[in-house]
Amino acid sequence: MRVSFWTLVSIFAWLILIALLVVPLGSVLLSSVQDQAGSFTLANYARFIETPRFRTAFLNTLIIGFGGLAGSLLLGSAMAFCMARIEIRGSRIVSLLAILALVSPPFIGAYSWIVLFGSGGLVRQTLMSWGIFIPPIFGLWGILIVFSFKFYPYVYLLASGALANINRSLEEAAESLGLTPFQRVMKISFPLVLPALSAGGLLALIHSIADFGTPRLIGRGFNVLATEAYTLYSAEVGSNLSMATTISIVLILLSMFFVFAQRYMSRRNVYHGNLINKPVKKKLTGFPNIAAHVVVYGIALIGAMPAFIAAIYSVRRTSGPVFHPGFGLDSYRRILYNLADVVQNSLTFSFATVALIVTIGTLIGCLVARKMSVNNSLLDATLMVPYVMPGIVVGIAFVAAFNSPPLALTGTAAVIILSIFIRRLPYSVRSSASALRQVSPSMEEAAISLGYSPSRAFMKVTVPLILPGIIAGGMLSFVTAINELSSSLVLYVGSTATMPVRIYIAINDGDYGTAAALSTVLLVLSSTAIYIAFRLMGRDERALL
Amino acid sequence: MSYLTVKDASKQFGGSVRALDGVSFAVERNEFFTLLGPSGCGKTTLLRSIAGFADLTAGSISLAGAALDAVPSHKRDIGMVFQDYAVFPHLTVAENVAFGLKARKVPATETATRVAEALNTVRLGAMAARLPAALSGGQQQRIGLARAMVIRPKLLLMDEPLSNLDAKLRIDLRDEIRDIQKSIGIAAIYVTHDQEEALAISDRICVMNAGRIEQIGTPQEIYADPRTIFVASFVGTMNILPQEAASHLGLESSRVHQWAIRPEHIQLDQGNLAPDSVRLAGRVEKYTYLGREAHVMAQTPAGKIVVQLADPAPSLRMEPGSAISLAFRRQDILSFDSKGVRLEGRGN
Ligand SMILES: Nc1ncnc2c1ncn2[C@@H]1O[C@H](COP(=O)(O)OP(=O)(O)O)[C@@H](O)[C@H]1O
Ligand SMILES: [Mg+2]
Repeated sequence: MRVSFWTLVSIFAWLILIALLVVPLGSVLLSSVQDQAGSFTLANYARFIETPRFRTAFLNTLIIGFGGLAGSLLLGSAMAFCMARIEIRGSRIVSLLAILALVSPPFIGAYSWIVLFGSGGLVRQTLMSWGIFIPPIFGLWGILIVFSFKFYPYVYLLASGALANINRSLEEAAESLGLTPFQRVMKISFPLVLPALSAGGLLALIHSIADFGTPRLIGRGFNVLATEAYTLYSAEVGSNLSMATTISIVLILLSMFFVFAQRYMSRRNVYHGNLINKPVKKKLTGFPNIAAHVVVYGIALIGAMPAFIAAIYSVRRTSGPVFHPGFGLDSYRRILYNLADVVQNSLTFSFATVALIVTIGTLIGCLVARKMSVNNSLLDATLMVPYVMPGIVVGIAFVAAFNSPPLALTGTAAVIILSIFIRRLPYSVRSSASALRQVSPSMEEAAISLGYSPSRAFMKVTVPLILPGIIAGGMLSFVTAINELSSSLVLYVGSTATMPVRIYIAINDGDYGTAAALSTVLLVLSSTAIYIAFRLMGRDERALL
Repeated sequence: MSYLTVKDASKQFGGSVRALDGVSFAVERNEFFTLLGPSGCGKTTLLRSIAGFADLTAGSISLAGAALDAVPSHKRDIGMVFQDYAVFPHLTVAENVAFGLKARKVPATETATRVAEALNTVRLGAMAARLPAALSGGQQQRIGLARAMVIRPKLLLMDEPLSNLDAKLRIDLRDEIRDIQKSIGIAAIYVTHDQEEALAISDRICVMNAGRIEQIGTPQEIYADPRTIFVASFVGTMNILPQEAASHLGLESSRVHQWAIRPEHIQLDQGNLAPDSVRLAGRVEKYTYLGREAHVMAQTPAGKIVVQLADPAPSLRMEPGSAISLAFRRQDILSFDSKGVRLEGRGN
């Protein structure tokens, strides 16, 4: 009875993966190797290699990928070291600011940097009036600055966790063996946090490659694969789906390559910290102390700056797209009167997505955690694929797969919900599987030996124990769902526009007030969800990654 | 017919691992029965088969006259105590103990009295309203014990319940477990890999090795009259000597493969010896003082031999290399054949 239930779950999981992953990816692949007549050709790939424009985009993607990686590593590890080893006043506030940077949609970051440092930017204008000239932020450097301050929390959260878990005895042992402090850091601490640094760096790299909003808004002609794919797909005249799918395949291969490269590099470096002798935080005085605080607060405040800018600009007086001196709620009024359906769409889609993710993700998580088998390991591995798929690619893949009968879903709300669902599913499966692994199987056996049937034992003991973790996971999925831009941008039609899509459009139209107000609404919703999640499962920033 | 009988139990996990290989034994009502063996020998597998969490590949189990094979685990009425306590962290101490009574639809007033009674038995009466996370390991295991007993099961199973506790607590709690088991008169099967614990707590011990039973007997039988070389060396310490030692011991060695003698049966030669004594000259290799006793490791022509001295004088010195003479009685020497089975007759 019970066996057949889990078999059903397994079949169901595979059906979902086939429908939402294999078919779309297959369609993308197929479309990239077919000519107009539908016969096999590699012409698209040849064209990709031959066309200077695409070659440049490929190169640019690598540049911003590694640039974002380098910037995030620099900022993230500096902050991690200070926070883990030095007493910083108000360190709770610092980690809140890091979270704020992490959850604000990336294009809000781009927008706020434009507001301050764009051609007519506030800071830039002020500096110019003092006779100091700085170039406007547009282009490669703009993208790299935004990425570094947006993605550093990945490195920071992972590395500070690792640093805090290094057994102090190891460093003391090195000290007693006569290593200088610098040698100690290079020979002991650095190798021990290297796995965490490379894992955090990988996240920064993959997100930099996949990000679409930032290069689009701030790149000004600095094109990358994600923007090229979108341009090809969305061109009013001569939309070229087969070239867009070709670029999508290149993007997926690139992401996968980096995932495997990182795995290969850190294959031997798995350290299990023991918590017996935790490192202590040093109290600094004088100049070093001030320097450490400046570094930490500088990074944290600049990282969270977009959120503040959005909040401030959302309450500036406007008429139409033009800002006026003074404060008012004009922008919110405009949302209420003109954009209520967009807010409603976002909420409806996100709740629907979360409901799907929580139920299905938990079921598959139980399957993966409890029923060890080759089939389930394969399921777990396949679930990693959506993890490396850039949102733009998911969007294009869904268009390629669901544009025609039997599954003509494009233009419906369902297709947006499903696209977010499949991208977030791996996280949900993993988090519920790990919640379940923390419940010892002997708990359930104890209940059974006391007279409860296996299904009642599961309901009475296991479910109450994993429920907080599941709800918390659902809240974090909600944050991802409601902030999702790139796949929705490909898939939306007028009636299914969401808040991120409207923000993107508003920024493109120069309607900054509306964009700021919508962004603020998003931030408030995200922060509430994260607050609930942390209340339920204890504060664990790393759950956000 | 015995209260619990296990007949020809075999369990094969995927591949060729035989966790249980033709295990048969019987346990009586009120008996404290211990499964003793090194880790990986199949104790947990056997216990879980009795509880119904694992299916046997072959063999049968019956309890109180009824076959258990077709009874699902939650209907077997067998209480279980777990190595990792398995206390429900989201329920209070009292709710944990009442958990099994709820499944049995015991009326609320009776539940309250039985829970209070069980908690008093394990000395947790004052903790009833607390959550388990606030309690120590020993207290959590007491909850586990109370929770399993309060349903008045037909059989109580305990899988290394004390192995996560520190040494002092382990000794206190094992005596408590033993007292409680006797006072409520329940059949109990206790699993441990700790031979001292097994000797202290059991009515009978079943020594297992690699999925098979080596010997079943009272603690005295297991210690003083081991049937196999495995039991002899696993329970307590034992000097094992090769066949060639026979000439030095003045023994006949036609079928004998190995000789064995316990350290406490050897003394340092001080003249007045019993008539059947064997003398052996040797040199001190190492002297270890342990307070209540001391161990002398001696190099002799028959091989390395450890001697246990009871109540050693603090002033006693034994320099490495100094000559000593060991003496022991022929009747204390055990002999084993090439399959490790005891040969009859002491001293052969
Ligand atoms: N679920 C399982 N799958 C495969 N082998 C198992 C499983 N459970 C136990 N074993 C094997 O069966 C043998 C006996 O295990 P176990 O009963 O746990 O031993 P013990 O409790 O005496 O330490 C071991 O060799 C172990 O590796
Ligand atoms: Mg075991």
